[in-house]
Amino acid sequence: MTATPTTPILRLSGIDKSFGAVQVLHDVSFDVRPGEVTALVGDNGAGKSTLVKCIGGIHPMDGGEYWFEGAQVQVHSPREAAALGVEIVYQDLALCDNLDIVQNMFLGREKRRGLVLDDTTMEEMATQTLEGLSVRTVKSIRQQVSSLSGGQRQTVAIAKAVLWNSKVVVLDEPTAALGVAQTAQVLELVRRLADNGLAVVLISHNMNDVFAVSDRIAALYLGRMAAQVSTSDVTHSQVVELITSGRSGDLGLARSNGVTA
Amino acid sequence: MRCPVAGPYDDDVWGAMKAGPSQEEIRRHNLGTLLRHVHIGGSMSRAVLAERMGLNRSTILGLVSELGSAGLVREELPRDTGRAGRPSLVVRPESDRVYVLAFDVGVDRLAAARIGLGGVFLDRREISVPAGRRDAGKVAEVLAGAALDMVDAAGHGTYCVGVAAAVRGMVRRPDGLVRAAPHLGWEDEEFGEDLMRLLGLGLPVSVGNEASLGALAEHLRGAGAGCQDLLYLHGDIGIGGGVVTGGQLLSGDQGYGGEIGHMVVNPRGGRPCGCGANGCLEAEAGERALLEAARRDPSATGREAVHAVVEAADRGDITARAALHDIGDWLGIGVANLVNVLNPRTVVFGGTLREVFLGSAAQIRSRINRIALRASRENLRLRVGELGDDAVLIGAAELAFSEILVGPLETLARAGA
Repeated sequence: MTATPTTPILRLSGIDKSFGAVQVLHDVSFDVRPGEVTALVGDNGAGKSTLVKCIGGIHPMDGGEYWFEGAQVQVHSPREAAALGVEIVYQDLALCDNLDIVQNMFLGREKRRGLVLDDTTMEEMATQTLEGLSVRTVKSIRQQVSSLSGGQRQTVAIAKAVLWNSKVVVLDEPTAALGVAQTAQVLELVRRLADNGLAVVLISHNMNDVFAVSDRIAALYLGRMAAQVSTSDVTHSQVVELITSGRSGDLGLARSNGVTA
Repeated sequence: MRCPVAGPYDDDVWGAMKAGPSQEEIRRHNLGTLLRHVHIGGSMSRAVLAERMGLNRSTILGLVSELGSAGLVREELPRDTGRAGRPSLVVRPESDRVYVLAFDVGVDRLAAARIGLGGVFLDRREISVPAGRRDAGKVAEVLAGAALDMVDAAGHGTYCVGVAAAVRGMVRRPDGLVRAAPHLGWEDEEFGEDLMRLLGLGLPVSVGNEASLGALAEHLRGAGAGCQDLLYLHGDIGIGGGVVTGGQLLSGDQGYGGEIGHMVVNPRGGRPCGCGANGCLEAEAGERALLEAARRDPSATGREAVHAVVEAADRGDITARAALHDIGDWLGIGVANLVNVLNPRTVVFGGTLREVFLGSAAQIRSRINRIALRASRENLRLRVGELGDDAVLIGAAELAFSEILVGPLETLARAGA
């Protein structure tokens, strides 16, 4: 779906965010489209995590607009973001080691039948979600999370995010701590999410991962959106230049003599 | 007897007919089409079949009962739907009853599988072959032995309806003569006929090129499912290729088409290729090129050796990184040329190229973006194979199933049911 101009499901425009005197995001615009993987890249401190936390409703934005499915919305908490269908998988995954896969996937949002937990429904939903993602690496959904490998944990965390009919899934460095084989599994899963119609945002430092699965690349540079381009239009070195200097040829921020107003 | 090589989509059922098709031919065609739907798509209700085939429900009912009484499909309640109301029956293929034999002749590994209608692996054997025992006769003997073992184990009331083998070499159409399989040292081998004689099942053995069959598998059941224009690159000891265009596997005049690995990308001063030319894609970007560039022990080859390089690069080994960088660049050049010529929707990297792609995607994509025509590349999707090491076997099985998907009742009758 790279070049077919689908309308963004999530659109941020003119986002400003400061922590005290420190401005972290400046006039950032960001579009996320269904059926696509949008890679969000940038150096440490470029503002990726802050932007994601604004999307997820953890940080209030100082200024700017948050549009979802064509309507302007206000997102003040993670719960409101989740209600829209925006789920974020953070790097630490936030899984509980002493609980099993099903318990983790429904943690805090358990299905009940009367006063007791509805284990059958939860197991069914978990199984269906994992099957829908063609996850074959997990032996039993009643396995404790502590017994899972890094790749499997990431898979569970991602499945947990898509369980709720979410429309936008943001993945913060999902392959950072994984070996080659497990990275391949997770990347395949990321691609499948988008091919199933979800809008996926992938934060990654690994250019091979970015070029392997993304349809679009958004590069942040010192709190500004340097460029948001189609992955079929740029080269590796252009993306590296966007990350390290905010511009590459005609792409990127206008020259500002180093002054970030 | 000749060994027909025909992809499931090759068959022009109305071919050579001048007048319109007769009632009987239409029915035969519909039976085959319905069976193909449940074979590829899995269990589905009659309503879904009616919609997909554009036929009314009573016609579908008739077709399903005809296939059902032949023992090719069965109607049953679906697994718990989780929805209220009476669930409708689904039509599912009789996977345990109707099967094919599929063979994959690797360079140091032979695989044989019994695969049921619907693409279900029922049984499989893997045999390693020591060097020096790879002549066609010997290989056919070993495979036939394993296959007959599986046929025996399958027992009463099961029917083998087709046999096909994949070889790493050039296979002539339509007779299946293996013209050359350099990695095995084969030349003009009537491998299919040997195998057919040894099996003694009374079934012809179709033979196909391993990468073409991998392409077919990914097109029907893997990363290219639903995609009519697909380019498949298969990394093994060399680089093989398969092209699906307009839903058809490209074969060329005599079946040798799709030799992507022997597209010359670096003619002046390029590395020598096993085929005698210089600078073939396989010579520049194949397994040997990667291992040499990464300065690996020349005695270690194969999947594990490639994996070790990708892993070393991931850990930060600069030699391995540089090697992948280089290989990725050459792969990008090869793919970009093919993208310009063929305008595929999806490019699938299979075999060992799956890992190579993930380890050098930045170079591959960058090169494509620099040299492929903008209009051809802007909707291009790059994917890794979903079927893993089984792609070739699954493709061979699909080749073996092609008969029964054209004339279900006749083929089953011939199998003795």
